[in-house]
Amino acid sequence: MTKPKISSDWMAGCSGCHMSLLDIDERLLEIAELADIRATPITDLKEPDESGVDVGILEGGINNSSNEEVAHRMRSRCKVLVAFGDCAVFGGVPALRNMCGTQAALQRAYVDIESNDASGKIPNDPELALMSNMRAIHEVVDVDLHVPGCPPDPDVIYYVLKELAQGRMPEIKDENLHWH
Amino acid sequence: MINLTINGKQIEVEDGTTVLNAARQNYIKIPTLCDHPNLTPYGGCRLCVVEVKGMRVPIASCTLPASNGMVIETETDSLKKSRNVILSLLFSERNHFCPFCQVSGGDCELQNAAYDEHMTHWPMQPQWTNFPVDTSHPFFILDNNRCILCRRCIRACAEMSGNFTLGVEERGSATIVVADTNVPLGESTCVSCGSCVQVCPTGALIDRQSAYLGHAKDMTITRSVCRGCSLGCGIIIHTRDNRIVKITGDYENKNAGTLCETGRYKTLDEKRTCLTTPMKRVAGQLTATSWDDALTTLAQNLIPLKGNIAALASTRLSVESLSAFKSIFVDGLGSNMVTSIEEGRPTALQAKYAEAKHESIEGKLDTLRTADCVLLIGADLTTTHEVASFYIKRNMPKGTRLIIVDPHENGMDDLANINLKPKAGSDEAVFNALEAAVIKAGLARTDSKTSKVTLEDAIAICGLSEEDVTDAAHMLAEAVAPVIVYGKGITTSSEVSVMEATLRVAKLIGASDVERKGILSIKGEANSLAAAQLGLDEQLEVKHEAVYVAVGDDYVAKRLVEKLEKVPYLVVQASYESALTERADLILPVNIWAEEAGHMLNTEGRLQFAEAALTAPEGVRSNLDVLNEVAKQLGVTVNDDWRTALTKRTSVVELELESNAS
Repeated sequence: MTKPKISSDWMAGCSGCHMSLLDIDERLLEIAELADIRATPITDLKEPDESGVDVGILEGGINNSSNEEVAHRMRSRCKVLVAFGDCAVFGGVPALRNMCGTQAALQRAYVDIESNDASGKIPNDPELALMSNMRAIHEVVDVDLHVPGCPPDPDVIYYVLKELAQGRMPEIKDENLHWH
Repeated sequence: MINLTINGKQIEVEDGTTVLNAARQNYIKIPTLCDHPNLTPYGGCRLCVVEVKGMRVPIASCTLPASNGMVIETETDSLKKSRNVILSLLFSERNHFCPFCQVSGGDCELQNAAYDEHMTHWPMQPQWTNFPVDTSHPFFILDNNRCILCRRCIRACAEMSGNFTLGVEERGSATIVVADTNVPLGESTCVSCGSCVQVCPTGALIDRQSAYLGHAKDMTITRSVCRGCSLGCGIIIHTRDNRIVKITGDYENKNAGTLCETGRYKTLDEKRTCLTTPMKRVAGQLTATSWDDALTTLAQNLIPLKGNIAALASTRLSVESLSAFKSIFVDGLGSNMVTSIEEGRPTALQAKYAEAKHESIEGKLDTLRTADCVLLIGADLTTTHEVASFYIKRNMPKGTRLIIVDPHENGMDDLANINLKPKAGSDEAVFNALEAAVIKAGLARTDSKTSKVTLEDAIAICGLSEEDVTDAAHMLAEAVAPVIVYGKGITTSSEVSVMEATLRVAKLIGASDVERKGILSIKGEANSLAAAQLGLDEQLEVKHEAVYVAVGDDYVAKRLVEKLEKVPYLVVQASYESALTERADLILPVNIWAEEAGHMLNTEGRLQFAEAALTAPEGVRSNLDVLNEVAKQLGVTVNDDWRTALTKRTSVVELELESNAS
């Protein structure tokens, strides 16, 4: 039997979930034994295989057109899509801006912020992705498994990866269920 | 009794039990959010829905009375789905993002409920609306964004403190919790009792002081007794790393979780400086010294003055300490001036009366719960014994009437049905007037036909109008369960005739008879009654060569400091620096309340054991240890049978000396 392929990517998040993934330490080798770790933000390969992977993991939510593309690409190339961490599951910290609106958040961050001088302006390069409200992944594409946590605990990540690598669907409950 | 079936289990419960409570009594868990065991069921959150055989839709179990033959299911797939939808709807309404919430991680009932349902995400995303955050209150914050509109806080404000400050504004999903007519909490009628914070299931109401200092699971819990006043409310002290994080009301105690600002917040807002080492005056200067030296110095100075020493103790000290104190100075040294720093002002008169008559005239605080008319005389409960004012206030919407007799401004003035402002010091005349008015109206419950003083004469003395007195007399005498609450206004009088007048009226209106004792005094500090029972209730007169003041962690009144100004040798046993310790010749540092255990006798004679919650810093000893040490140095023996000592004198209220611990 060939090893299942696992790929991950990140969107509007802080990369803390991937840090927490690395925090499973030597158990990463165990996962590497069980699964074929493909494209991730921390490996050389940058995009999930066009031929498809078994498990796609996405950190962060979706708050611009580029993230949307990443989400759709991962969804179309994986069998099981995992929303990884609070931003992916709920919207998390970046979703705070939904309370005031994207324009107000940009104005505050680039122009009004105390550390700025008078030259502050909102980036408007046409090549930049189009901003949107922060959305949880399941608002954009179907999600098969939600792993909440800010970030998810390394023990939870290890459990999730081990189960997925062996073709089982992890059950997120009791001590494995944390929203913060 | 009612028989019903829950999840196939045959259950018998008492009439009037809700389905939710029937399940609880039988260890069947039904998730709830808006329900709180100490508040009236409300049925707002719908999380407790159950299926009842024969009924069309699921029903909230918290407001459903159990009835015979009911067949109930609580764990069907359809119910689980309902609960999931209910929780999703709650999460979708406001900002319930857990990572940046104080209570997330164990203390949030909303989060816990979602965990119990194995919710890994919100099927419906929030609607991104901003709700107001009120940070104007000195002790807590109201964040409507975290609110689930369970209205526990509103019910607590009404049912626990009777203050009715909190309410809601707007409708549907726009509903917000507001104070009064939507004014900032800090400027509202809020009395800072904190009950709302204690019952809030989410992070909508959070304590400033304890916020982000850890969750319930990180805390050590100590059941204790509040030493803020003589009511003796049960408290739970939450400590972490030998620091008090917060104090909450003990639902298991008589106060049923209710506390006041003093008990919950002010006690922890301590600004005084702790004493950590014994000090003695050397060449006019207070100098740090060792315990051994301090005690030797004490013996050297006090032994030659035996018979010429006065002693004062705080009524916040434990019964054990007060009894040892009395044993040393009265029995051991034979001092003729041994009293408390309250000097018996809130207790001496009624104690003297009870002793003379061999009769416990006062009733229990519980009578306030059923009172339909309260005569509050010479006592401002809101400043000194606030929880007692809550007991009265929360019954007022049910029709309980309040008559205030107080020459001064009273915190409950606005609530009074009848407010009488007699001349200061004329309480006896007020009672005489009431007596005459009750008899004149033909409403007397006894055979009394004549009053001691005529109505006209009594009115002339107290300066009240005949109309007001007659109205009050009618209100009191027509009540089914009237209660008289008296305070310092009466007890500072030296005339026993005031007590007699009080009791005559109590009997006349049926407040006090064979079955019922609807008369209470609020007394003073935590162990005021114990001090009175031990005879520590004399007025202080200092003509002595030395004075020993066991002040503990109490505040010292200015008049006392002035009286002690000229004492040749002053020993102060205290926890904090004060004007008194500045004047002292010898200072013995002792524990603060939370650092020492001991018994407290509350105003209704209920003995309770207060546990210690903190370990004292090195070099500081407990009040009792110091007193025992002092006894040893002075060569006197301490009688530690304080139970017997307490009962030597007939108490003004029946004592219940079976304490909650030994």
